[in-house]
Amino acid sequence: MRSYAAPYEDVWGPRRGRIVAAALALVFVVIVGRAAYVSFNGPDRSAVPVAKAEVARRADIVDRKGELLATTITGKSLAVDPSAVWESRDVVAAIRSVFPELGEDALTAMMADRKRQFVWVKRGLTDDQAKALKATGVEGLMFVEEPQRVYPNGRLAGHFLGYTGVDGEGLEGIERIYDARLKLGGSALKLSLDASVQFVLEEELDRAFADFDMKGAAGIVVDANTGEVRAIASWPFMDPRQRGDQSDEAKTNRALNSRMELGSIYKPLTVAAALEAGVLQPTDRFDVSKPIKIGAVTVKDAHPLEHASSVSVTDILAYSSNIGSAEIAQRMGPQTQRVFLGKVGLLTGLKQDGPQWATPLLPARWDQTALATVAYGHGISVSPMAFAMTYLPFANGGEYVTPTFVEPLNAETVKRTRVMSAQTAASVLGMLRTTVTTGSGKNADAKGYEVAGKTGTAEKPGPNGYDADRNITSFAAIFPASRPQYVVLVVLDEAQPRTGVNRTAAFTSATIAGKVIARAAPLLDVRPVLEVAATKSVVEAQ
Amino acid sequence: MKRLAIVGALVVAALAVAVYRAKLGAEETQGRIDELKAQVAEEEKSIAGLRADEAVLTRPERIGVIAQQQLGLQPASPGQYTASEALKQKLGEEKVTLPVPADTAQAQTQAQLPGIQAPGAKPQQQ
Repeated sequence: MRSYAAPYEDVWGPRRGRIVAAALALVFVVIVGRAAYVSFNGPDRSAVPVAKAEVARRADIVDRKGELLATTITGKSLAVDPSAVWESRDVVAAIRSVFPELGEDALTAMMADRKRQFVWVKRGLTDDQAKALKATGVEGLMFVEEPQRVYPNGRLAGHFLGYTGVDGEGLEGIERIYDARLKLGGSALKLSLDASVQFVLEEELDRAFADFDMKGAAGIVVDANTGEVRAIASWPFMDPRQRGDQSDEAKTNRALNSRMELGSIYKPLTVAAALEAGVLQPTDRFDVSKPIKIGAVTVKDAHPLEHASSVSVTDILAYSSNIGSAEIAQRMGPQTQRVFLGKVGLLTGLKQDGPQWATPLLPARWDQTALATVAYGHGISVSPMAFAMTYLPFANGGEYVTPTFVEPLNAETVKRTRVMSAQTAASVLGMLRTTVTTGSGKNADAKGYEVAGKTGTAEKPGPNGYDADRNITSFAAIFPASRPQYVVLVVLDEAQPRTGVNRTAAFTSATIAGKVIARAAPLLDVRPVLEVAATKSVVEAQ
Repeated sequence: MKRLAIVGALVVAALAVAVYRAKLGAEETQGRIDELKAQVAEEEKSIAGLRADEAVLTRPERIGVIAQQQLGLQPASPGQYTASEALKQKLGEEKVTLPVPADTAQAQTQAQLPGIQAPGAKPQQQ
């Protein structure tokens, strides 16, 4: 009998069971592990949209010393759930008891759509308003917490700061210009403004209205060496808390966005241009005794100068002779005049990021007529901000500097252009100081601060030519003259003294500029120049 | 075989428990983090509100009036400044005596009078 041995040796036999068991165990582990993962692992937090969107808190705006000018707090807004309102009349009455300005019909219509569950009624409630509404106890009112932009200093620098809409988007001023930067949140946007100086400037412009019936005003304080704007104001003021709900007069930023013929404050520019062109010497003398005809205009002086047949260049500035200025301009010609005004930024808008000034209105033809009128500040309209910058070269040794509104000061973006020699700058500065000590600018002479400056009274153009009864009066100042640090410009629109008849710049804007300088100088750490009686020497206060 | 299955089941169960505990711990930690974040956000809101309040209270138009009416302060005038040269001249012309608080003055007087020793002072070596 044939015996059959095992046909082959089943070497896997004993192991097969283990292998299968191990494989099954592995599958089991995977299944259980995955089940455990699914069971215990919550949903991925990052994948689920958060109900309350994490929007960065809009950055604050502060002045150069860190004083808060604009910030964002959490406030309450009022919404209503029409589906939860049983008696809409009660709800409407309750809302109108706090907000009588809201129309009854509009509110009733708002409640009528019972399918809706959320309708905004009023954004940005004050605490008192929220309390009063809660106290009414009516149904359907919802108080929603949301970010609110607030301006703790009220109307201070209102035009410059601008404001945001109820949803936080920048609509005007710095809030609009730097909207993207502010929306990112993070550190505060630091302005070059000094809140204290801004306050002084605004207060003096406001007080000016007590002395003068005026239509508007603008004021600017600029660091003469760096171009940093320390204060910029426009009167009537705009309150950013009202978010544009003000008159057009109040909303107009005269310092940046208005164009004006500023009058005789151009005369120092005429003198500087002629000195630079080499057609004028500071010692030259002029005959200003008779009107002169240049182009299509006959140039006259409103008040004839003493010894008019032979006056110095300093006299022409100090006593503001139109004839003398036109004669100086004639020496250089229209092209030289135009090029010089271009160098000091008066022929174009501001070519840099940030706040802009209004583009100027220039003579259609820069001919002999334009030459004569522009020499004493007529026939050319620029913004006060643009004009203020033209006095910086007189103060800093001859360099035009672009303005800076935001800190830190970026040396790369600040453009410094030499527009006149240091000698010309010093020469004109000396004449401007004389204008204040002995000429038309006496009322601006803030004791101890060596004010140098020039008055400007320009008739406003009307439908029938220039109107002698409506003036723009201005005063452009530099202080202190022996070591210039700041430039101040004050412009009053149709300032009419409430008592007396003198409405020229010598009695209006010069007075205001002097008051601004007297109060702002200590805040700007400008030490007065004092005379020591015993030695008769002039020293700077320590 | 059975033993292997039991061991496997135990291991799986142990792993599941470990995962559960880890997950629970993470959940608790996440909850704590969320709580702290919410607390930080609330504090930030509160700080923003307080800073705004401070700015309102310290705005120049308010402080100016208070300083003037309650303290009689005025803006600094050039006359209140002086030059070091002027000060030297003034000091040369007249002897300036600065006021000394009464208690300090008394103590100084006692210590400086000959023969009188200030309380607690060691005898001076001659």
